[in-house]
Amino acid sequence: MNLLVVLPILVALGALRLLKAGLLAWMIALWMAIYLTLRYGFAVPIPASVITLYMGITTMALATYVLSSRERFASCSRPLIALVVERRLRTLLIVVVLGLPLLVAARIYTNMSQPLQPPSFARTVHPAPPSEPITVRGQTFDLNAVENPFRNLEKSDPSQFRVHVENGRRVYYQNCVYCHGDNVQGDGLFAHGVNPIPTNFRDSGTIAMLQEGFLFWRIAKGGPGMPGEGGPWESAMPAWENFLTVDEMWDVILFLYDHTGQRPREVEEHAK
Amino acid sequence: MKNAAWKWIVLVAPFVMLLPEPAAAAELELGTDAQQKAGKVVYERYCSQCHGTEGDGKGYAASHLRPRPRDFTSGKFKIRTTPSGALPTDDDLRRVIRDGMPYTTMIGWPNLSDQDVTNVIYYIKTFTKDFKNRDYYAQPIAIPEPPPHDADSAKKGREVYLQMECHRCHGDQGRADGASAPSLVNDAGEPILPADLTKRWTFRGGPARRDIYRTFSTGLNGTPMPSYADSLTDTQRWQLVDYVYSLGAADTPNYAERVVSRSIADDLDMTKGEALFDGAEGAFLPLFGQIVEPGRAFHPNATGIEVKAVHNREHIAFLLRWNDMRADRTGENSPALEAPETTETVEEAASQASSTEESDPFADAVEPEVAGDATDDFFSDDGSAETASGGEAGFSDAVAVQFPAALPDGIRLPYFIFGDPDNPVDIWFADLAKPAPQRFVGRGSRSVAPGNPDGLEMTASYDAGVWSVIFKRKRRQEDAMAIEGGQWYPVAFSVWDGLSGDRGNKRALTRWYYIYVEPAETVGPLRPMAKAAVATFGIEIVLIALIRRKHKNGVSIPPTNP
Repeated sequence: MNLLVVLPILVALGALRLLKAGLLAWMIALWMAIYLTLRYGFAVPIPASVITLYMGITTMALATYVLSSRERFASCSRPLIALVVERRLRTLLIVVVLGLPLLVAARIYTNMSQPLQPPSFARTVHPAPPSEPITVRGQTFDLNAVENPFRNLEKSDPSQFRVHVENGRRVYYQNCVYCHGDNVQGDGLFAHGVNPIPTNFRDSGTIAMLQEGFLFWRIAKGGPGMPGEGGPWESAMPAWENFLTVDEMWDVILFLYDHTGQRPREVEEHAK
Repeated sequence: MKNAAWKWIVLVAPFVMLLPEPAAAAELELGTDAQQKAGKVVYERYCSQCHGTEGDGKGYAASHLRPRPRDFTSGKFKIRTTPSGALPTDDDLRRVIRDGMPYTTMIGWPNLSDQDVTNVIYYIKTFTKDFKNRDYYAQPIAIPEPPPHDADSAKKGREVYLQMECHRCHGDQGRADGASAPSLVNDAGEPILPADLTKRWTFRGGPARRDIYRTFSTGLNGTPMPSYADSLTDTQRWQLVDYVYSLGAADTPNYAERVVSRSIADDLDMTKGEALFDGAEGAFLPLFGQIVEPGRAFHPNATGIEVKAVHNREHIAFLLRWNDMRADRTGENSPALEAPETTETVEEAASQASSTEESDPFADAVEPEVAGDATDDFFSDDGSAETASGGEAGFSDAVAVQFPAALPDGIRLPYFIFGDPDNPVDIWFADLAKPAPQRFVGRGSRSVAPGNPDGLEMTASYDAGVWSVIFKRKRRQEDAMAIEGGQWYPVAFSVWDGLSGDRGNKRALTRWYYIYVEPAETVGPLRPMAKAAVATFGIEIVLIALIRRKHKNGVSIPPTNP
């Protein structure tokens, strides 16, 4: 929440209450308050399409409120009719009548002078893995149930576990570092050249949310193995089954969790 | 006599003990054992994968990295504020750790705590005895406030540039294409590239004018880049800074997100050369190594390509410019050539490097060291001379423009690396050893077949370190996607460097970008603005008329209490 925006809005609404504003003023004020809150009130910007959707709902709700009673409708429409009919408000009417077309023209101007935007594609960042088992280097894996074969060493044989993590570290720094970066945060040497950008493994919204089987699938099959909603044609993630052994892929997964201090999402009991 | 001596000792000793330690001793900031130990933990977690657990620069990642990770046992550090040959200050090391070195895999480490950085510096100092030797320390040089940049000073700097023979490595126009550029090596005998002075965002020590001044005054230890502290006056060094600064447009690459083809009325006369593209918007796009499909290029020489496009009713033309340290116009190249997968292991790289002897850190490197056989090691990954030289005639430089073979249906594009079996790509290809362009159809990186080159024209020139290639084609052609005005089209580019043994998959490439083809007549905003304003006004008048008619006698609705 952006308090610098939200607090003044609340203060303004409070002032309307003290001034005993009419219903029309309240409706306009509420509409604007909701718009400004959605547009500027959040630290993480809300997409314009979502704002349009919310404002559509807001408009409908306010209209329903006004139209659902004859009195409310009358108290909203009276000031408007007065503006049109009454002689003493003529100056204001002229300003409104001339001002509205100017606003419309200005809107069209800003729309047309936007910089050219290439077509964009809203890809799914973590597409659903295939429900059918996948084949990697001659072995078959059921992604719903597969677990890292070396994960149990963490408890049963810690020193052997470290050997696997260390091997994963080698694999990472010989293969992945160019895009995913030295500090595994997606800022490697080539990161600025690719789209979508390489995953930042330190981000708590990435590997911590995923099962090791999902990582294995993404690593083994890479960009080309993604379903259509992931945009397989533009991802520069290699299909690592071309370069790495199955064990190397499991090792590098151990390394990613170990190095970032994150834990993989557990496989649900019923899937095992 | 004996008594007198005792008297003196007794009298003076307390004062001697109170005297501060000699200044030189104070410089030896080696940290406590505990600090070094704490630094070792940080080092082994974050640094050793590249720099090696022994600090010798032979970590896991080392074999494919150019420049190679710093070998801390050598005691040679490039970016310093101290005179040539001297050890860096702690602040110098701290700055590189914090900010990193641009366009290398040494990223900045802003997340480490101050204490971690200090401890890791103490640990790094344990890798060489040099840090225990006071002789290798020196006071930092003074870097004065930069005088304002001026064109006249840059002009004088050009004279200094030629007089100091900077062009021998950095090239006449600073594009890193000097005659000795391909064969430069560092003190360890490893090949090293001169900086491309037109791209100051790649300067390892930073792009600011005082950064460049510092490099001139301190040199880069262990590399052929000498210090000019003794050979150039302060004024001359600033002139040289101003000249280098004038060679690049900005501190940042300002990569483009799209290409715009400009609509022109005239014929697309290719003999005009680059002048044909005057007024077209230049798009500088980042190139990265093809490391997705086998035949990987881990350190391509080209890091960016500038694209311009123009079209008239009939034709469309592309201008492609990229810096290349040497024009390779012999041999051949093709997107369909087989590129060997890199096989070099860390152990091989380590055994190769350990055979080079140690050298004195104070050795002056004023003369660029040139090793004739170093080229192959650097540019090829597997270190075999055969790969880099490409058999008899070698591999030529080459460039390609890639479009989808057919207008994409919806959002689905062909795979960005030479397409896929269901979605082929159209590749316009220029082997710069040949006068005529070629065309290929890509159905995947291992399935590239020759296509019909009819209707495709090409000219190419190389001057002072930059390739300039123009492609031209009909906008509507039977066997290709039509290019219509007012539309966006996916487009991608590839660059092959013959010197590095690039061919087939081994190359630098871009992702898909979009090119906008301007319509012949562009619509200004005035007309739609006026239309909308008049329409709004009309609706207002009608509404007002209706309302006034209904309420002829003033507001007739009885007041109510909401």
